[in-house]
Amino acid sequence: MMNAIEVHNISKSYGKVTALDDVSFSVGRGEVFGLIGPDGAGKSSMFRILCTLLEPERGTATVDGYDTVRQMKEIRRRVGYMPGRFSLYQDLTVLENLEFFATLFGTTVAAGYDSIKAIYSQIERFHDRKAGALSGGMKQKLALSCALVHSPSVLFLDEPTTGVDPVSRKELWDMLETLKERGITIVAATPYLDEVRRCERVAFLDHGHLRGIDTPDTILDRFADIFNPPGIEHGKTTGAADENVIEVQHLVKAFGDFRAVDDISFSVKRGEIFGFLGANGAGKTTAMHILTGLNQPSGGTGTVMGYDIRTQYEQIKKRIGYMSQKFSLYEDLTVAENIRLYAGIYGMKGKEIARRTDELLQRLQFSEHKHDLVSSLPLGWKQKLAFSVSIFHEPGIVFLDEPTGGVDPATRRQFWELIYDAAARGITVFVTTHYMDEAEYCDRISIMVDGKISALGTPGELKRRFRQPDMDHVFTHLARQATRNSD
Amino acid sequence: MIQYLIQKEFLQIRRNSFIIKLIIAFPIMVMCVMPWVMNQEVKDIRVSVVDNDRSTVSQRLVHSIGQNSHFVFCGQHPSYYAALKEIEKSRTDIVLVIPQGYSRDITLGRKPQVLIAANAVNGTKGGIGSSYLSQIVTANLAPDASTPLHSNISTHYLYNKHLNYKVFTIPALLAIVMMMMCGFLPALNIVSEKEAGTIEQINVTPVSKWSFILAKLIPYWIIALFIVTVCLVLAWAIYGITCQGSLWLVYLLTMLLALFFSSFGLIISNYSNTLQQAIFVMWFFVVCLILLSGLFTPTRSMPEWSYATTYINPMHYFIDAVRTVFIRGGGFSSVARQVSALIGFSVVMGVWAVVSYKKNT
Amino acid sequence: MKHFISFIQKESRHILRDRRTMLILFGMPVVLMLIFGFAITNDVKNVRTVVVTSQADHLTRQAIDRLAVSEYFDITATVGTSQEAERLIRSQRADMAIVFGKDFASKKSGLQFIVDASDPNMAQQWTTYATQTIVNPQLSTVNSKMLYNPQMKSAYNFVPAIMGVLLMLICAMMTSISIVREKEKGTMEVLLVSPVRPLTIIIAKTVPYLVLALVILVSILLMARYVLDVPLSGSVVWIIAVSILYILLALSLGLLISNISNSQHMALLLSAMVLLMPAVMLSGMLFPIESMPPVLQWLSAVIPPRYYIEAMRKLMIMGVGIGEVVREVIILFIMTALLLAVSLARFKTRLE
Repeated sequence: MMNAIEVHNISKSYGKVTALDDVSFSVGRGEVFGLIGPDGAGKSSMFRILCTLLEPERGTATVDGYDTVRQMKEIRRRVGYMPGRFSLYQDLTVLENLEFFATLFGTTVAAGYDSIKAIYSQIERFHDRKAGALSGGMKQKLALSCALVHSPSVLFLDEPTTGVDPVSRKELWDMLETLKERGITIVAATPYLDEVRRCERVAFLDHGHLRGIDTPDTILDRFADIFNPPGIEHGKTTGAADENVIEVQHLVKAFGDFRAVDDISFSVKRGEIFGFLGANGAGKTTAMHILTGLNQPSGGTGTVMGYDIRTQYEQIKKRIGYMSQKFSLYEDLTVAENIRLYAGIYGMKGKEIARRTDELLQRLQFSEHKHDLVSSLPLGWKQKLAFSVSIFHEPGIVFLDEPTGGVDPATRRQFWELIYDAAARGITVFVTTHYMDEAEYCDRISIMVDGKISALGTPGELKRRFRQPDMDHVFTHLARQATRNSD
Repeated sequence: MIQYLIQKEFLQIRRNSFIIKLIIAFPIMVMCVMPWVMNQEVKDIRVSVVDNDRSTVSQRLVHSIGQNSHFVFCGQHPSYYAALKEIEKSRTDIVLVIPQGYSRDITLGRKPQVLIAANAVNGTKGGIGSSYLSQIVTANLAPDASTPLHSNISTHYLYNKHLNYKVFTIPALLAIVMMMMCGFLPALNIVSEKEAGTIEQINVTPVSKWSFILAKLIPYWIIALFIVTVCLVLAWAIYGITCQGSLWLVYLLTMLLALFFSSFGLIISNYSNTLQQAIFVMWFFVVCLILLSGLFTPTRSMPEWSYATTYINPMHYFIDAVRTVFIRGGGFSSVARQVSALIGFSVVMGVWAVVSYKKNT
Repeated sequence: MKHFISFIQKESRHILRDRRTMLILFGMPVVLMLIFGFAITNDVKNVRTVVVTSQADHLTRQAIDRLAVSEYFDITATVGTSQEAERLIRSQRADMAIVFGKDFASKKSGLQFIVDASDPNMAQQWTTYATQTIVNPQLSTVNSKMLYNPQMKSAYNFVPAIMGVLLMLICAMMTSISIVREKEKGTMEVLLVSPVRPLTIIIAKTVPYLVLALVILVSILLMARYVLDVPLSGSVVWIIAVSILYILLALSLGLLISNISNSQHMALLLSAMVLLMPAVMLSGMLFPIESMPPVLQWLSAVIPPRYYIEAMRKLMIMGVGIGEVVREVIILFIMTALLLAVSLARFKTRLE
């Protein structure tokens, strides 16, 4: 039988940067094929070449038997594609988005409903809400529904689950398996190891080179230093004093009838690493915005660093650090300029800034990039830098909103080393994540479901209480009880 | 901490090569090209003549039209109807019909009725053209016995002896450049930060609203200073037009206008969600402010209700004051009212810009 | 066809849901028409006049009275010396002064106008009007006739110009931004990979803007006719037909801009700097082309609104037949064909 995809000696470069260098592989019909590798490995370029969006410099590729350069029209009629930075039409409603993409691919929502049911049913009740008003993870789910509503013969998914909670990711991959049964070939890129394991074969790309193609386990074993770095030893924080730096009682945030945060109470101790977990739209980001003084609560009381979140939010802001979900250093400033700006805002003196900037960059082994524009850095570096900037002024607490989204395991591990460093210096860390291995790194975690906190404790306690082997199962167990799926 | 924020704004402006080019090239381009374009002078009016008299006297009239610098003689036509066709084809602007018996009437001391038909689609052109032409006709009627009163009228043009239109235009250009640079760039500023997501990061820092907004305003003042200087130097170098009054007053006025427009831009930016919205809203206000300010048309001729709007139009105060200083050489006392009005507007706008920026919702 | 309709539906929703932009789009023509129609004029009116006279004899009184009753002049002060009058003018409390000679009555010495010539055009008109008012022009044998615009309203001149600029703005600027936005947000990639032909995407994207432009065109025409009393002398069919040609031209320009620019920022500034500025300045909308130096006249020859505004002035105001605007229509047509060809040829079905 003819292969669904044949790639022969493809090379592609952008100016001096080589994106792909002499890459060849083939994907069998009906196969689930994984494309993995760190940021900047050339995965997106490969997707675009296969989707006929880019022309390779050298080499040829065929999709479904058609040449990607010469037979563009035939291929475009047969493939489905979800780009990595896919965004929906923010001013159209959920249903309008879905209907538009269905028509675009020559089908209807009704006809394609079965192929998207598992995911779309979670957001279906918000079908007349504008896409722009959905939370990050919900948008991603809608985007997936839009990409899957038709049945192409080959489906390309470029990191489709960035920012999606673990339960939904499982549901998505269950769904992809049913597509496979219908003979659809699937090529997907993903940074999640559990997803990698669900592929039949994976190709590992690194800086444009193909380092290996094999079954997931073989690849993950062979490159264990990158994909499966040893866990971090977390020397129990000694300073977790009995002093609460965050105290929240009966906190409520309502948008109209909808209670995004519904009566939550918890406290965080000084020096703790507190994991704030929850499914997409459970209300994590909203709660975090209230704690950092970006939003006013609708009800309840709370203090952060001893200051009232309703009235003394400007006092709070002096004593905390924050790293938002959306990457938010100034891309058009250099590394040193960004550090200088934020340090200056927190009132540090020029000389001290200069000295500590050098120290920091040395510790990160990043000194030679001091004067590089942030926009030129790879994603993993940007995130490490954003974190370092957010704790540069030695805040009492740092809030991290999904700081490691879309990053490969090795980089995530380095990131957590930085978090441990900060905790060891007595900085309280308040972090949200969708990686359950990261949840295990926390001192204590809370799991939010439908705007309420349904579990709170150390990872060990939670595993015992719910009789589950690991955090992933604990989370799945709790999140499946959700009745609503929205922010 | 404000110096760090200001430094950041400058770095961002410097990194954006397009904006740098714009800031330098725009005033230069405007000063080099616009005075030639913005010329309301009516000249080269095309005149066709229908001479039903065909006498030496009538030919003398035709000849004197051809010699006048305002007019271009476009030939004679056999009938009024044929000449009107020429107007329809846009080959001529004014038709002069000399009646039969024109020379006889003149010799007999009677008044021949000359017809001037002007294309008045452009009212100014038609009006001015026909009044020039009628002056020529009148002068030709009695070339020898000119009326005593007429010859005794003299006109003394103040401030602009040679009726140079560019003198009138240059202060207006100053206002336009100021508005484009200090109005539109800030209007894009905060919206861009919203779209990039950096505003959220700034909002969780303890930076005060005042210093954040002030740090955004100060770079535009400095840009404004640079732009005014460029404009004034070019006006002198290219057109030999210099400021009659105190330069400090001109600087003071432009700085106040820059403050007004940059605050106004930031206000719009604060309320807008997308770049397109910001630009459209800004454009709308700018067009209204300019048209109703007296930049191109005399405010005195406005009907009362629209004249009333000039009291709340900072552009009106600015153009009034800057013309008084720049062209008429007025001192501080003659523009004190405008200066205080501009200060009032700028302060209100500045405060509004700060208040409308929300760090906590 | 189904693709096409759903595309148009989607695009219309984008337009209709951005309330503020819609408000501006429909508010702009209304406000502009009102401003040009009623609020501003170049008429000589309410000129603040200072009379300089040392004695009030009969003839002087008579002349002053004539000035005072005319709607053109407001006598704001009577002073003794011309220095004083000059001071009033400098401090912006008067626009002109009329100095009556000592023996104005005996006609031995005449009168002098002292005029604030900051605005040379107005200065000249003031003197002309003042001369006519004082001299009481019995001599006038000239019978002036203002063709097409007897009351010399500026609205007659500006309605076609407003149409030219607004249609350009809506079609070119908004289309280019809407296409570039899809590029920026990444949705363009999906649209391109879909089975829909790129040409369908492009046409479908422009149709809603075409409709929007037509709606605005019709509302401008209605306002011009019924609010401003500007006659639509020519054939309405031809006015609309030429306008559609112009709208197509503007749409192609918008496509071209969207091909060139990579960000909304750039598309916005490009359309503002390259389209709007020349359209306002060099099209003959505000400033007569024949008064410009030759270089700028050549430059204005490639500005499409120039031809559209010219054609509209002829068709709407002068009411001539289509035969008289053939030249303009042909030029517009060639420009449209050229721009359309270039922008379609440059439309990328792949990424760079």
